[in-house]
Amino acid sequence: MSRAPLPEWLVSTLDQQEPAAPGEIHTTARVQVVEWGLPTLRDEEWRWTNLRALTRPLPKPQQTATPEGSGLNAILPQAIFIRFAGGKLVECPGELPDGLRLTPLREADLDQRAAAFAPKAVTPNDALLALNTATAAEGLIIDIAANADIKPPIVLEFLDAPSETAAQTRVLVRCGPHSRATLIETATGADGVTSWRNSVLVAALAANSQLTHLSLGLDGDARLLTDRSFVTLARDARYRSINIQLGGQLVRREIDVNITDTGAHCDLFGLMMPRAKQVLDTHTRLTHGAAHTTSDERYQVIADESGRGIFKGRILVAQDAQKIEAYQSSRNLLLSDSAEIDTKPELEIYADDVKCSHGATIGRLDDEALYYLQSRGISTANARKLLIAGFAQEIVDLLVTPELVEWMGGIISRRLERQNAQ
Amino acid sequence: MKLLEIKNLHAKIGDKPILRGINLCINAGEVHAIMGPNGSGKSTLCQVLGGREGFEVTEGSVTYDGKNLLELSTEERATAGLLLGFQHPVEIPGVKNIYLLKEALNAQRAARGLDEIDTFAFMKQVRELTKTMGMDDAFLHRGVNAGFSGGEKKRNEILQMLLLQPKLALLDETDSGLDIDALKVVSEGINMLRGADRGIVLVTHYQRLLSYVEPDFVHILYKGKIIKSGDKSLALQLEAEGYQDILEAAS
Repeated sequence: MSRAPLPEWLVSTLDQQEPAAPGEIHTTARVQVVEWGLPTLRDEEWRWTNLRALTRPLPKPQQTATPEGSGLNAILPQAIFIRFAGGKLVECPGELPDGLRLTPLREADLDQRAAAFAPKAVTPNDALLALNTATAAEGLIIDIAANADIKPPIVLEFLDAPSETAAQTRVLVRCGPHSRATLIETATGADGVTSWRNSVLVAALAANSQLTHLSLGLDGDARLLTDRSFVTLARDARYRSINIQLGGQLVRREIDVNITDTGAHCDLFGLMMPRAKQVLDTHTRLTHGAAHTTSDERYQVIADESGRGIFKGRILVAQDAQKIEAYQSSRNLLLSDSAEIDTKPELEIYADDVKCSHGATIGRLDDEALYYLQSRGISTANARKLLIAGFAQEIVDLLVTPELVEWMGGIISRRLERQNAQ
Repeated sequence: MKLLEIKNLHAKIGDKPILRGINLCINAGEVHAIMGPNGSGKSTLCQVLGGREGFEVTEGSVTYDGKNLLELSTEERATAGLLLGFQHPVEIPGVKNIYLLKEALNAQRAARGLDEIDTFAFMKQVRELTKTMGMDDAFLHRGVNAGFSGGEKKRNEILQMLLLQPKLALLDETDSGLDIDALKVVSEGINMLRGADRGIVLVTHYQRLLSYVEPDFVHILYKGKIIKSGDKSLALQLEAEGYQDILEAAS
């Protein structure tokens, strides 16, 4: 079956900017993009998520206002803020703590660019990765030196305003041996203003390094986000991803983690709360490629109104990777008859001495719990809100600091109040 | 003053009749104990009074504080001052105790036309109560009843009562599953609730609780009806002779 060609409006954006990917990598991706077009429902990894919205040019915005940021600067005044607006790097601080180096992609050397564009597109499932590789000109290289303990969080604020072309950003994070850092990505858009960001983040964790990576999708009911993270863990490295998606017309995140050496650990935690007609989708692929490695994965979806939540979690344990412990759970709350949740755990285990467990549940609000709260005089609406926020809290509580936990809890609770008021 | 008046109450679950004509009157200032063997309808009576779905009242009436109780929703009953202590308090991980307490207290206040409570005053009051109930403050930030022992759950029920100060407290087997220390603490809590303008109903399987919380009246429920009423000596008689003799004498 022949594939649908790349939409005209995207073809016209292909060679607009000087690409950052090194020559051959760029050339290969450029060919793939034209050959593959956009992923369709026929592509296995896209069977639940329709990219129809990208087949036509994005609607021209009425106003060009840049959306407000996450508001995190009030919560984390000490943090290091980097801002992208409409996919362009607009703010990057010069004064940095020892051991941290930031290089705008435009100024990066060949070695940095080769590392940033290392993940290769293999099949049409990777068409958007190829598109990013073929066109990304903006981005950032974050280098954390060996033994550095970067205390202030590094915050990448993506202000997803519309741009003439799709926002194609590429970020590389390299964590030196024994280093520690926290990276927070936030995404906001202006309500009713359509924007599309197709971003890629590559993280390489050297031996015994630690990276906590928060990805927080906030306001912006018309945002489109397609995003991939590629993470590799060397010996004894620890990676924690917390992926909380509360807004957007379509958000599709794919997180690939490759544990390459012994002693490493990976946490993948996620919360998606689709409502209205939002589609919030996360695919994770975790490879235990070495013995004595562990992982803990917990994803929760709360779908209301006509929202759709999708979670697919693949765990692969390679043949020689013995003594693995991998835990995965997918717990989901369906709050309305027209909401939909698709969840699929996929375990592929080729080793024989492993402990793997997974479980997926989809339920409604617990009637017993609702009755208990009502019996204390709490109104039905408030009781529902408490229960929904309580379910979300199980993931929110995993955010790194009490300030972040409270901040995110407040955002969720205000959102539930707004919904109650409607 | 009559707080609760139950007249000829019949209720069923599905096609199964459970309550078959209950008559009971509770005045302010009184403590009533309702005892009975398993399956006599004790818990059903509590749930029907609490407004739980799934029970159908087929006959009779319940008047609470001058209102038709059966027309009120569960939350309206609670904000009107009728609070139910659960036999099996529900575990709600994720919802912190402190949130439940604050939300519930503010619901009571709103029903009385009062503003939301000041956070400082609220925390002070709650800390005093945790102390009274012999509970660690850390419990306030744990999920409601999540992972609590049986005794902790029951203490938590009484703590909520003490905070919310109901006009009528309906305690469904609050004493079951308690060791002797917890029973003493829980009983002290219930005794603190006693007052001239308040009614308390203790639904229990055992006489034990009634040594600590002395009832003014004891009723025996059997096959959905109150078959015998008396004073606290009835509970002692029951303890000494067992249900069988009393049931036989009454039938």
